[in-house]
Amino acid sequence: MDCDHINKLIESYLDAELTLSDRRDFETHVTDCGDCSAQLEAMRALQNNIQNMHYHTAPCTLKQTIKNQLRDYTGEDTSRISWLKWSAMATGFVSVGALSSWLVLAYIMVSPLQTRFTDDIISAHVRSLMVDHVTDVESTDRHTVKPWFNGRVDFSPPVKDLKEQDFRLIGGRLDYINNTAATALVYQRRAHIINLFIYKYSPSQHSHKPQLLQRNGYNVIYWSRNGLNYCSISDLNKKELTEFSQLMATF
Amino acid sequence: MLTKKDRQRFERLSLPHLDAAYNLALWMLRNPAEAEDTVQIAFMRAFEAFNSFSGNNIAAWLMTIVRNTAINTLNRNKRNSNLVSFDEIAHNTEKPHINNHDLRPDEVMSLITKQTVIAELIERLPLDHREVLYLRDIEGYSYKEISEIILLPKGTVMSRLSRARAQLQKWLLQQQRKEHFRGL
Ligand SMILES: [Zn+2]
Repeated sequence: MDCDHINKLIESYLDAELTLSDRRDFETHVTDCGDCSAQLEAMRALQNNIQNMHYHTAPCTLKQTIKNQLRDYTGEDTSRISWLKWSAMATGFVSVGALSSWLVLAYIMVSPLQTRFTDDIISAHVRSLMVDHVTDVESTDRHTVKPWFNGRVDFSPPVKDLKEQDFRLIGGRLDYINNTAATALVYQRRAHIINLFIYKYSPSQHSHKPQLLQRNGYNVIYWSRNGLNYCSISDLNKKELTEFSQLMATF
Repeated sequence: MLTKKDRQRFERLSLPHLDAAYNLALWMLRNPAEAEDTVQIAFMRAFEAFNSFSGNNIAAWLMTIVRNTAINTLNRNKRNSNLVSFDEIAHNTEKPHINNHDLRPDEVMSLITKQTVIAELIERLPLDHREVLYLRDIEGYSYKEISEIILLPKGTVMSRLSRARAQLQKWLLQQQRKEHFRGL
Protein backbone atom coordinates (compact mmCIF):
# COMPACT_ATOMS: atom_id res chain seq x y z
CA MET A 1 0.00 0.00 0.00
CA ASP A 2 1.28 3.47 -0.85
CA CYS A 3 1.11 6.57 1.33
CA ASP A 4 -1.94 8.00 -0.45
CA HIS A 5 -3.89 4.86 0.15
CA ILE A 6 -2.74 4.58 3.76
CA ASN A 7 -3.75 8.16 4.35
CA LYS A 8 -7.29 7.40 3.32
CA LEU A 9 -7.45 4.54 5.80
CA ILE A 10 -6.34 6.46 8.90
CA GLU A 11 -9.80 7.24 10.17
CA SER A 12 -11.23 3.82 9.43
CA TYR A 13 -8.27 2.39 11.29
CA LEU A 14 -8.87 4.57 14.35
CA ASP A 15 -12.61 3.93 14.17
CA ALA A 16 -11.94 0.17 14.20
CA GLU A 17 -13.58 -0.27 10.83
CA LEU A 18 -10.76 -2.01 8.95
CA THR A 19 -10.72 -5.71 8.20
CA LEU A 20 -8.08 -7.69 9.98
CA SER A 21 -5.84 -7.99 6.94
CA ASP A 22 -6.12 -4.28 6.03
CA ARG A 23 -5.37 -3.49 9.60
CA ARG A 24 -2.19 -5.53 9.50
CA ASP A 25 -1.03 -3.94 6.23
CA PHE A 26 -1.80 -0.52 7.62
CA GLU A 27 0.22 -1.09 10.77
CA THR A 28 3.15 -2.49 8.86
CA HIS A 29 3.28 0.58 6.62
CA VAL A 30 2.94 3.06 9.44
CA THR A 31 5.80 1.58 11.46
CA ASP A 32 8.14 2.26 8.58
CA CYS A 33 6.77 5.54 7.28
CA GLY A 34 7.35 8.74 9.23
CA ASP A 35 4.89 10.83 7.23
CA CYS A 36 2.00 8.45 7.61
CA SER A 37 2.80 7.84 11.22
CA ALA A 38 2.73 11.60 11.90
CA GLN A 39 -0.66 11.85 10.20
CA LEU A 40 -1.96 8.98 12.24
CA GLU A 41 -0.81 10.52 15.51
CA ALA A 42 -2.32 13.87 14.63
CA MET A 43 -5.66 12.25 13.95
CA ARG A 44 -5.41 10.15 17.08
CA ALA A 45 -4.69 13.26 19.15
CA LEU A 46 -7.72 15.00 17.72
CA GLN A 47 -9.92 12.04 18.47
CA ASN A 48 -8.62 11.88 22.04
CA ASN A 49 -9.38 15.55 22.45
CA ILE A 50 -12.93 15.04 21.32
CA GLN A 51 -13.43 11.97 23.46
CA ASN A 52 -12.17 13.76 26.55
CA MET A 53 -14.68 16.53 26.19
CA HIS A 54 -17.07 17.14 29.03
CA TYR A 55 -19.95 14.66 29.10
CA HIS A 56 -23.02 16.23 30.60
CA THR A 57 -25.38 14.61 33.01
CA ALA A 58 -29.03 15.13 32.18
CA PRO A 59 -30.69 17.45 34.70
CA CYS A 60 -32.49 15.48 37.42
CA THR A 61 -35.68 17.43 36.76
CA LEU A 62 -35.67 16.02 33.24
CA LYS A 63 -35.76 12.45 34.45
CA GLN A 64 -38.58 13.22 36.87
CA THR A 65 -40.60 15.03 34.22
CA ILE A 66 -40.28 12.10 31.85
CA LYS A 67 -41.29 9.65 34.56
CA ASN A 68 -44.34 11.74 35.44
CA GLN A 69 -45.37 12.07 31.83
CA LEU A 70 -45.04 8.35 31.25
CA ARG A 71 -47.28 7.60 34.23
CA ASP A 72 -49.70 10.17 33.03
CA TYR A 73 -49.77 8.58 29.61
CA THR A 74 -50.60 5.12 30.93
CA GLY A 75 -53.22 6.60 33.22
CA GLU A 76 -51.37 5.59 36.37
CA ASP A 77 -51.70 7.89 39.29
CA THR A 78 -48.91 10.36 39.48
CA SER A 79 -48.14 10.17 43.12
CA ARG A 80 -48.81 13.13 45.30
CA ILE A 81 -45.24 12.94 46.47
CA SER A 82 -43.72 13.63 43.10
CA TRP A 83 -46.00 16.61 42.59
CA LEU A 84 -45.05 18.03 45.91
CA LYS A 85 -41.44 17.40 45.12
CA TRP A 86 -41.89 19.15 41.83
CA SER A 87 -43.53 22.16 43.39
CA ALA A 88 -40.66 22.39 45.84
CA MET A 89 -38.17 22.32 43.00
CA ALA A 90 -40.14 24.77 40.92
CA THR A 91 -40.27 27.31 43.70
CA GLY A 92 -36.54 27.39 43.54
CA PHE A 93 -36.58 28.25 39.86
CA VAL A 94 -39.26 30.84 39.46
CA SER A 95 -38.20 34.24 40.54
CA VAL A 96 -41.51 35.99 39.86
CA GLY A 97 -43.18 35.68 43.23
CA ALA A 98 -43.75 32.45 45.03
CA LEU A 99 -45.00 29.90 42.58
CA SER A 100 -46.52 27.51 45.07
CA SER A 101 -48.69 30.15 46.66
CA TRP A 102 -50.14 31.13 43.32
CA LEU A 103 -50.61 27.70 41.90
CA VAL A 104 -52.51 24.84 43.46
CA LEU A 105 -50.99 21.57 42.45
CA ALA A 106 -54.30 19.88 42.78
CA TYR A 107 -53.85 16.84 40.68
CA ILE A 108 -55.87 14.61 42.95
CA MET A 109 -58.77 17.05 43.15
CA VAL A 110 -59.53 16.82 39.46
CA SER A 111 -63.07 15.72 38.74
CA PRO A 112 -64.03 13.48 35.81
CA LEU A 113 -65.88 16.44 34.39
CA GLN A 114 -62.78 18.55 34.41
CA THR A 115 -60.77 15.71 32.95
CA ARG A 116 -63.17 15.61 30.01
CA PHE A 117 -62.96 19.35 29.71
CA THR A 118 -59.18 19.13 29.71
CA ASP A 119 -59.34 16.57 26.93
CA ASP A 120 -61.37 19.09 24.95
CA ILE A 121 -58.72 21.70 25.53
CA ILE A 122 -56.00 19.29 24.46
CA SER A 123 -57.84 18.39 21.24
CA ALA A 124 -58.29 22.05 20.42
CA HIS A 125 -54.61 22.64 21.03
CA VAL A 126 -53.50 19.67 18.95
CA ARG A 127 -55.96 20.54 16.18
CA SER A 128 -54.56 24.05 15.97
CA LEU A 129 -51.05 22.71 15.49
CA MET A 130 -51.89 19.84 13.18
CA VAL A 131 -53.88 21.57 10.50
CA ASP A 132 -51.39 24.40 10.54
CA HIS A 133 -54.18 26.69 11.51
CA VAL A 134 -52.76 28.22 14.63
CA THR A 135 -54.11 31.67 14.01
CA ASP A 136 -57.05 33.38 12.30
CA VAL A 137 -55.44 36.72 12.80
CA GLU A 138 -51.71 36.69 12.64
CA SER A 139 -50.04 39.59 14.33
CA THR A 140 -47.52 40.34 17.00
CA ASP A 141 -49.37 43.55 17.75
CA ARG A 142 -51.97 43.31 20.47
CA HIS A 143 -53.74 46.34 19.05
CA THR A 144 -54.49 44.30 15.95
CA VAL A 145 -55.39 41.09 17.70
CA LYS A 146 -57.77 42.48 20.31
CA PRO A 147 -60.21 44.30 17.98
CA TRP A 148 -60.39 41.24 15.75
CA PHE A 149 -62.47 39.50 18.40
CA ASN A 150 -65.06 42.30 18.47
CA GLY A 151 -68.44 40.87 17.52
CA ARG A 152 -67.02 37.37 17.37
CA VAL A 153 -67.35 36.69 21.07
CA ASP A 154 -69.51 38.43 23.64
CA PHE A 155 -66.64 39.45 25.84
CA SER A 156 -63.45 41.33 25.37
CA PRO A 157 -60.40 39.19 25.93
CA PRO A 158 -57.44 40.95 27.45
CA VAL A 159 -54.54 40.66 25.03
CA LYS A 160 -51.16 41.21 26.57
CA ASP A 161 -47.82 41.89 25.11
CA LEU A 162 -45.19 39.73 26.79
CA LYS A 163 -42.43 40.28 24.30
CA GLU A 164 -40.08 41.54 26.93
CA GLN A 165 -40.64 38.45 29.01
CA ASP A 166 -39.76 36.42 25.94
CA PHE A 167 -43.26 35.12 25.21
CA ARG A 168 -44.02 36.25 21.69
CA LEU A 169 -47.61 36.96 20.70
CA ILE A 170 -48.18 35.44 17.27
CA GLY A 171 -51.90 35.87 16.85
CA GLY A 172 -55.42 34.94 17.80
CA ARG A 173 -58.06 32.46 16.78
CA LEU A 174 -61.67 31.68 17.40
CA ASP A 175 -62.13 28.19 18.77
CA TYR A 176 -64.81 26.08 20.36
CA ILE A 177 -64.42 24.42 23.71
CA ASN A 178 -67.30 22.29 24.80
CA ASN A 179 -69.43 23.78 21.99
CA THR A 180 -68.91 27.27 23.33
CA ALA A 181 -66.99 29.99 21.55
CA ALA A 182 -63.64 30.69 23.11
CA THR A 183 -60.87 32.99 22.12
CA ALA A 184 -57.48 31.49 21.70
CA LEU A 185 -54.47 33.74 21.96
CA VAL A 186 -51.34 32.19 20.61
CA TYR A 187 -47.96 32.85 22.09
CA GLN A 188 -44.62 31.30 21.48
CA ARG A 189 -41.49 30.64 23.46
CA ARG A 190 -38.66 29.08 21.50
CA ALA A 191 -40.23 26.30 19.47
CA HIS A 192 -43.20 25.92 21.80
CA ILE A 193 -46.64 27.16 20.96
CA ILE A 194 -48.81 28.21 23.86
CA ASN A 195 -52.56 28.39 23.36
CA LEU A 196 -54.28 30.63 25.86
CA PHE A 197 -58.00 29.92 25.86
CA ILE A 198 -60.33 32.48 27.36
CA TYR A 199 -64.00 31.57 27.80
CA LYS A 200 -67.05 32.19 29.89
CA TYR A 201 -68.25 28.65 30.19
CA SER A 202 -67.15 26.96 33.33
CA PRO A 203 -67.54 23.32 34.24
CA SER A 204 -69.33 23.21 37.56
CA GLN A 205 -66.27 22.23 39.49
CA HIS A 206 -63.89 24.60 37.80
CA SER A 207 -61.72 25.79 40.61
CA HIS A 208 -61.21 29.48 40.97
CA LYS A 209 -57.76 28.93 42.28
CA PRO A 210 -55.06 28.42 39.68
CA GLN A 211 -54.53 24.77 38.92
CA LEU A 212 -51.89 22.86 37.08
CA LEU A 213 -52.70 19.63 35.30
CA GLN A 214 -50.57 17.38 33.25
CA ARG A 215 -52.08 15.15 30.64
CA ASN A 216 -50.84 13.36 27.50
CA GLY A 217 -47.56 15.17 27.66
CA TYR A 218 -49.12 18.62 27.87
CA ASN A 219 -49.11 21.03 30.72
CA VAL A 220 -52.40 22.74 31.32
CA ILE A 221 -52.98 25.61 33.74
CA TYR A 222 -56.40 26.93 34.70
CA TRP A 223 -57.29 30.13 36.45
CA SER A 224 -60.11 32.64 36.62
CA ARG A 225 -60.11 36.40 36.74
CA ASN A 226 -62.76 39.10 36.46
CA GLY A 227 -65.49 36.68 35.49
CA LEU A 228 -63.50 35.03 32.73
CA ASN A 229 -61.87 31.64 32.75
CA TYR A 230 -58.42 31.08 31.41
CA CYS A 231 -56.57 28.02 30.36
CA SER A 232 -53.02 27.90 29.04
CA ILE A 233 -51.76 24.77 27.37
CA SER A 234 -48.45 23.85 25.84
CA ASP A 235 -45.79 21.20 25.58
CA LEU A 236 -43.56 23.81 27.18
CA ASN A 237 -42.23 22.71 30.56
CA LYS A 238 -44.22 23.36 33.71
CA LYS A 239 -41.85 25.93 35.05
CA GLU A 240 -42.04 28.20 32.04
CA LEU A 241 -45.75 27.70 31.42
CA THR A 242 -46.36 28.66 35.03
CA GLU A 243 -44.26 31.75 34.53
CA PHE A 244 -46.36 32.62 31.47
CA SER A 245 -49.67 32.03 33.22
CA GLN A 246 -48.62 33.96 36.24
CA LEU A 247 -47.64 36.93 34.10
CA MET A 248 -51.01 36.74 32.37
CA ALA A 249 -52.92 36.49 35.60
CA THR A 250 -51.17 39.16 37.55
CA PHE A 251 -50.68 41.86 35.00
CA MET B 1 -52.72 0.53 24.56
CA LEU B 2 -49.67 0.90 26.73
CA THR B 3 -49.90 -0.41 30.24
CA LYS B 4 -48.09 0.06 33.49
CA LYS B 5 -45.99 -2.96 32.61
CA ASP B 6 -44.95 -1.39 29.30
CA ARG B 7 -44.11 1.79 31.14
CA GLN B 8 -41.92 -0.06 33.60
CA ARG B 9 -40.14 -1.95 30.85
CA PHE B 10 -39.68 1.24 28.85
CA GLU B 11 -38.18 3.04 31.84
CA ARG B 12 -35.84 0.18 32.59
CA LEU B 13 -34.60 0.09 28.99
CA SER B 14 -34.61 3.75 28.08
CA LEU B 15 -33.64 5.75 31.16
CA PRO B 16 -30.05 4.43 31.23
CA HIS B 17 -29.64 6.25 27.90
CA LEU B 18 -30.98 9.54 29.14
CA ASP B 19 -27.54 11.13 29.42
CA ALA B 20 -26.63 10.02 25.91
CA ALA B 21 -29.90 11.43 24.60
CA TYR B 22 -29.32 14.70 26.42
CA ASN B 23 -25.76 15.06 25.17
CA LEU B 24 -26.81 14.36 21.59
CA ALA B 25 -29.52 17.00 21.83
CA LEU B 26 -27.01 19.40 23.36
CA TRP B 27 -24.53 18.80 20.57
CA MET B 28 -27.19 19.35 17.98
CA LEU B 29 -29.03 22.31 19.49
CA ARG B 30 -26.22 23.97 21.49
CA ASN B 31 -28.76 25.15 24.05
CA PRO B 32 -29.46 23.39 27.37
CA ALA B 33 -33.11 24.46 27.72
CA GLU B 34 -33.95 23.34 24.20
CA ALA B 35 -32.01 20.12 24.66
CA GLU B 36 -34.04 19.34 27.75
CA ASP B 37 -37.36 20.01 26.03
CA THR B 38 -36.33 18.01 23.02
CA VAL B 39 -35.35 14.96 25.05
CA GLN B 40 -38.59 15.16 26.98
CA ILE B 41 -40.64 15.17 23.78
CA ALA B 42 -38.47 12.47 22.23
CA PHE B 43 -38.94 10.11 25.16
CA MET B 44 -42.70 10.52 24.98
CA ARG B 45 -42.63 9.83 21.26
CA ALA B 46 -40.47 6.81 21.86
CA PHE B 47 -42.92 5.49 24.41
CA GLU B 48 -45.84 6.04 22.06
CA ALA B 49 -44.01 3.98 19.47
CA PHE B 50 -42.68 1.48 21.98
CA ASN B 51 -44.92 -1.34 20.75
CA SER B 52 -43.46 -1.05 17.30
CA PHE B 53 -39.91 -1.31 18.57
CA SER B 54 -38.71 -4.82 17.91
CA GLY B 55 -34.97 -4.49 17.58
CA ASN B 56 -32.40 -5.16 20.23
CA ASN B 57 -30.53 -1.87 20.09
CA ILE B 58 -32.77 0.44 22.03
CA ALA B 59 -30.00 3.02 22.45
CA ALA B 60 -29.66 3.49 18.69
CA TRP B 61 -33.43 3.55 18.31
CA LEU B 62 -33.69 6.28 20.94
CA MET B 63 -30.89 8.25 19.29
CA THR B 64 -32.85 8.19 16.03
CA ILE B 65 -35.91 9.62 17.74
CA VAL B 66 -33.94 12.24 19.66
CA ARG B 67 -32.21 13.29 16.48
CA ASN B 68 -35.47 13.64 14.55
CA THR B 69 -37.03 15.60 17.37
CA ALA B 70 -34.02 17.91 17.53
CA ILE B 71 -34.26 18.50 13.79
CA ASN B 72 -37.95 19.36 14.18
CA THR B 73 -37.02 21.83 16.88
CA LEU B 74 -34.42 23.42 14.62
CA ASN B 75 -36.79 23.60 11.65
CA ARG B 76 -39.43 25.16 13.79
CA ASN B 77 -37.02 27.73 15.16
CA LYS B 78 -35.98 28.51 11.64
CA ARG B 79 -39.54 28.89 10.38
CA ASN B 80 -40.42 31.18 13.21
CA SER B 81 -37.40 33.34 13.19
CA ASN B 82 -35.57 35.52 10.77
CA LEU B 83 -32.32 34.69 12.40
CA VAL B 84 -31.02 31.64 10.69
CA SER B 85 -27.49 30.90 11.61
CA PHE B 86 -25.33 30.65 8.59
CA ASP B 87 -23.86 27.25 9.16
CA GLU B 88 -27.25 25.58 9.37
CA ILE B 89 -28.37 26.63 5.91
CA ALA B 90 -25.60 25.69 3.63
CA HIS B 91 -22.03 25.01 4.29
CA ASN B 92 -19.07 24.49 2.17
CA THR B 93 -18.88 20.81 1.61
CA GLU B 94 -15.39 20.95 0.28
CA LYS B 95 -12.96 18.99 2.36
CA PRO B 96 -10.30 21.28 3.80
CA HIS B 97 -7.05 20.05 2.48
CA ILE B 98 -4.23 19.05 4.72
CA ASN B 99 -1.39 16.97 3.46
CA ASN B 100 1.65 15.55 5.16
CA HIS B 101 3.78 18.53 4.44
CA ASP B 102 1.38 20.96 6.06
CA LEU B 103 2.27 19.58 9.43
CA ARG B 104 5.58 20.28 11.08
CA PRO B 105 6.60 17.73 13.71
CA ASP B 106 6.19 20.18 16.60
CA GLU B 107 2.72 20.96 15.34
CA VAL B 108 1.76 17.34 15.29
CA MET B 109 2.58 17.08 18.94
CA SER B 110 0.90 20.31 19.91
CA LEU B 111 -2.30 19.14 18.27
CA ILE B 112 -2.75 17.43 21.59
CA THR B 113 -4.40 20.53 22.92
CA LYS B 114 -6.82 22.06 25.30
CA GLN B 115 -10.33 20.73 25.54
CA THR B 116 -11.95 24.12 25.80
CA VAL B 117 -10.66 25.04 22.40
CA ILE B 118 -12.03 21.90 20.83
CA ALA B 119 -15.47 22.40 22.35
CA GLU B 120 -15.70 25.86 20.80
CA LEU B 121 -14.54 24.62 17.45
CA ILE B 122 -17.06 21.79 17.42
CA GLU B 123 -19.83 24.31 17.98
CA ARG B 124 -18.76 25.99 14.77
CA LEU B 125 -19.20 22.82 12.73
CA PRO B 126 -22.39 22.44 10.71
CA LEU B 127 -25.13 20.32 12.24
CA ASP B 128 -24.72 17.28 10.01
CA HIS B 129 -21.05 17.14 10.95
CA ARG B 130 -21.64 17.55 14.66
CA GLU B 131 -24.14 14.75 14.86
CA VAL B 132 -21.99 12.11 13.17
CA LEU B 133 -19.00 13.18 15.20
CA TYR B 134 -20.98 12.82 18.40
CA LEU B 135 -22.37 9.42 17.48
CA ARG B 136 -18.97 8.10 16.45
CA ASP B 137 -16.46 9.68 18.82
CA ILE B 138 -18.55 10.10 21.95
CA GLU B 139 -21.06 7.26 21.75
CA GLY B 140 -18.84 4.90 19.79
CA TYR B 141 -21.35 3.77 17.18
CA SER B 142 -20.05 2.00 14.09
CA TYR B 143 -20.39 3.54 10.63
CA LYS B 144 -23.18 1.09 9.89
CA GLU B 145 -25.11 1.97 13.04
CA ILE B 146 -24.74 5.68 12.35
CA SER B 147 -25.96 5.22 8.80
CA GLU B 148 -29.06 3.55 10.24
CA ILE B 149 -29.63 6.38 12.67
CA ILE B 150 -29.29 9.20 10.16
CA LEU B 151 -30.82 7.16 7.31
CA LEU B 152 -27.99 7.80 4.91
CA PRO B 153 -25.43 5.51 3.27
CA LYS B 154 -22.30 4.45 5.09
CA GLY B 155 -20.21 6.35 2.57
CA THR B 156 -21.94 9.57 3.54
CA VAL B 157 -21.25 8.91 7.22
CA MET B 158 -17.57 8.40 6.42
CA SER B 159 -17.23 11.49 4.29
CA ARG B 160 -19.00 13.66 6.84
CA LEU B 161 -16.83 12.37 9.64
CA SER B 162 -13.77 12.91 7.54
CA ARG B 163 -14.72 16.46 6.64
CA ALA B 164 -15.59 17.29 10.22
CA ARG B 165 -12.25 16.07 11.50
CA ALA B 166 -10.27 17.71 8.72
CA GLN B 167 -12.04 20.96 9.45
CA LEU B 168 -11.26 20.72 13.14
CA GLN B 169 -7.61 20.00 12.43
CA LYS B 170 -7.45 22.93 10.09
CA TRP B 171 -8.93 25.29 12.67
CA LEU B 172 -6.70 23.96 15.41
CA LEU B 173 -3.69 24.50 13.21
CA GLN B 174 -4.71 28.03 12.33
CA GLN B 175 -5.15 28.81 15.97
CA GLN B 176 -1.80 27.37 16.90
CA ARG B 177 -0.04 29.27 14.17
CA LYS B 178 -1.68 32.45 15.36
CA GLU B 179 -0.51 31.79 18.90
CA HIS B 180 2.94 30.92 17.69
CA PHE B 181 3.09 34.12 15.71
CA ARG B 182 2.01 36.17 18.70
CA GLY B 183 4.72 34.49 20.76
CA LEU B 184 7.46 35.61 18.41
ZN1 LIG C 1 3.45 6.40 4.21
